Amino acid sequence: MSHAGDRVGTWIGWAFFADLGKALALTFGYMFSRSVTMQYPDKEKWLPYPRYRGHHFLKRDEEGEIKCVACELCARICPCDCIEVIPYEDEKGNRRPAKFEIDTARCLFCGLCEDACPADAIALGQQYEFSSFSSRDLIIGRDDLLGKPGKAATGGAVVAARLSTEKDVLVEASELQGYNWWRNIRQT
Amino acid sequence: MELIVALGLIVFKVAFLIAILLLLPLPLTWLERKIAGHIQQRMGPMRVGWHGLLQPVADGIKLLTKEDHIPADADRFLFKLAPILALAPPFVVFVAVPFGETVSVLGAEITLYVSNMNVALLFVFAVIGIEVYGVIFGGWAANSKYAVLGSLRTCAQMISYEIPMGFAVIGVVMLAQSMSLLEIVRAQADVWNIVYQPVGFFVFFVAGLAEAQRIPFDLAEAEGDLGAGFHTEYSGIRFAFFMVSEYAIMLLVSVLVVILFFGGWNGVLLPLPPLLWFALKVAFFIYVFIWFRFTFPRYRYDQLMAIGWKVLLPLSMANIIITGVLLGATAAP
Ligand code: SF4
Ligand code: SF4
Repeated sequence: MSHAGDRVGTWIGWAFFADLGKALALTFGYMFSRSVTMQYPDKEKWLPYPRYRGHHFLKRDEEGEIKCVACELCARICPCDCIEVIPYEDEKGNRRPAKFEIDTARCLFCGLCEDACPADAIALGQQYEFSSFSSRDLIIGRDDLLGKPGKAATGGAVVAARLSTEKDVLVEASELQGYNWWRNIRQT
Repeated sequence: MELIVALGLIVFKVAFLIAILLLLPLPLTWLERKIAGHIQQRMGPMRVGWHGLLQPVADGIKLLTKEDHIPADADRFLFKLAPILALAPPFVVFVAVPFGETVSVLGAEITLYVSNMNVALLFVFAVIGIEVYGVIFGGWAANSKYAVLGSLRTCAQMISYEIPMGFAVIGVVMLAQSMSLLEIVRAQADVWNIVYQPVGFFVFFVAGLAEAQRIPFDLAEAEGDLGAGFHTEYSGIRFAFFMVSEYAIMLLVSVLVVILFFGGWNGVLLPLPPLLWFALKVAFFIYVFIWFRFTFPRYRYDQLMAIGWKVLLPLSMANIIITGVLLGATAAP
């Protein structure tokens, strides 16, 4: 159609509220689409993808020794200056961290520490629920880091969850069985 | 004896009507939040009761137990008067609104209206106009800038939209040759007025949106720019009064649209009971109100005025003239 004809068509459309009708049709369609929100934390929970960068954890080698060699490269590269490593020499003469603290209140979860580590000793795992009432509790020490959950093997799904408030507020999630969140986003 | 029975019946009807109007905001708020949620791909209330059905009850308890706060510099008398002024007229109006012809209960014929006024339409418009005072007083008495701005906008909006609204129904009155809502519905037994009066319906519906202060004409309580508009300073039960009034007006406008343009309780195709037909139509328009709210943005103040005076008023006047000419032409032998 010619440009002028286009303009006339637009005007006729406006006279009959074609634009408003389009908007109404769109919202009507959305009304019957599936919700993208989930009933976290007492019914459903999102399990992150394996590549997700959550809370840090320290790895052990086959003998159960901490892998970290306390080279402090992670502390160096960290843009937030939130890792503190103090090395010592253990019985076997290996260099190990005597103190390894991450201030997760300052961490931006960039994952640079994971990339920089020459000993493949630190990585960012799947845990993302570690809020706290005091920022002091967010400074995590070496032994806690060793006990943190590692990377998820699978993920990217919503799973059934239960909220338990007995001693601590805790979300207990079951195995992967949910639907994929991304599929619920309407593509238009 | 006859008189006592008749009186008792009226009292019963009025009490029933008030109960319905007071309780209706509960499901309506739930519906509104559910529809809002699903349009925005959320779930809406889910926690209280099955799919959040008891959420309005929880909200009601919250509103009842909240502190009833009156600002220090407020005009205390007007501040207390305003919610009542806003609440009462929508209730009074329903006295003149019929919901059907008659139903027989236990052998007795009961009419589904409180009174069949011959000037019902005039009564409705006159009484609903009083509601504006509640909004204006509420905004003024709170002594807050947001509230005053909200009620200033309400003044202008009501003045400019009540006129086309009144004009829009004249075509309907001409067709039915009566101002009684009952007669108007009876006149539509064969063909609904929407066929003869599409422009009248359009003007009435748009003006009704403005009258009920719903998006896209909710300038009086525009959350985005005025806090909560005229009821910024209200809390607790007084705030609930304004909310109930708002829902009652929304219901009233839906009911009026159905009675004036969509044949009231006259059904088509399906032989459903008249009362059910009526309820379905009203429910549809209430849904449309909510649907509009989560689809359209709010008009700017000058656009609001322009639509009122430059579009709706001429349209409604032209509608009257054309209806008159056509009626005269068809009536002539
Ligand atoms: S993830 Fe980034 S910010 Fe956090 S500790 Fe590692 S390097 Fe520092
Ligand atoms: S975690 Fe890796 S980079 Fe950081 S001190 Fe230990 S070995 Fe070095």
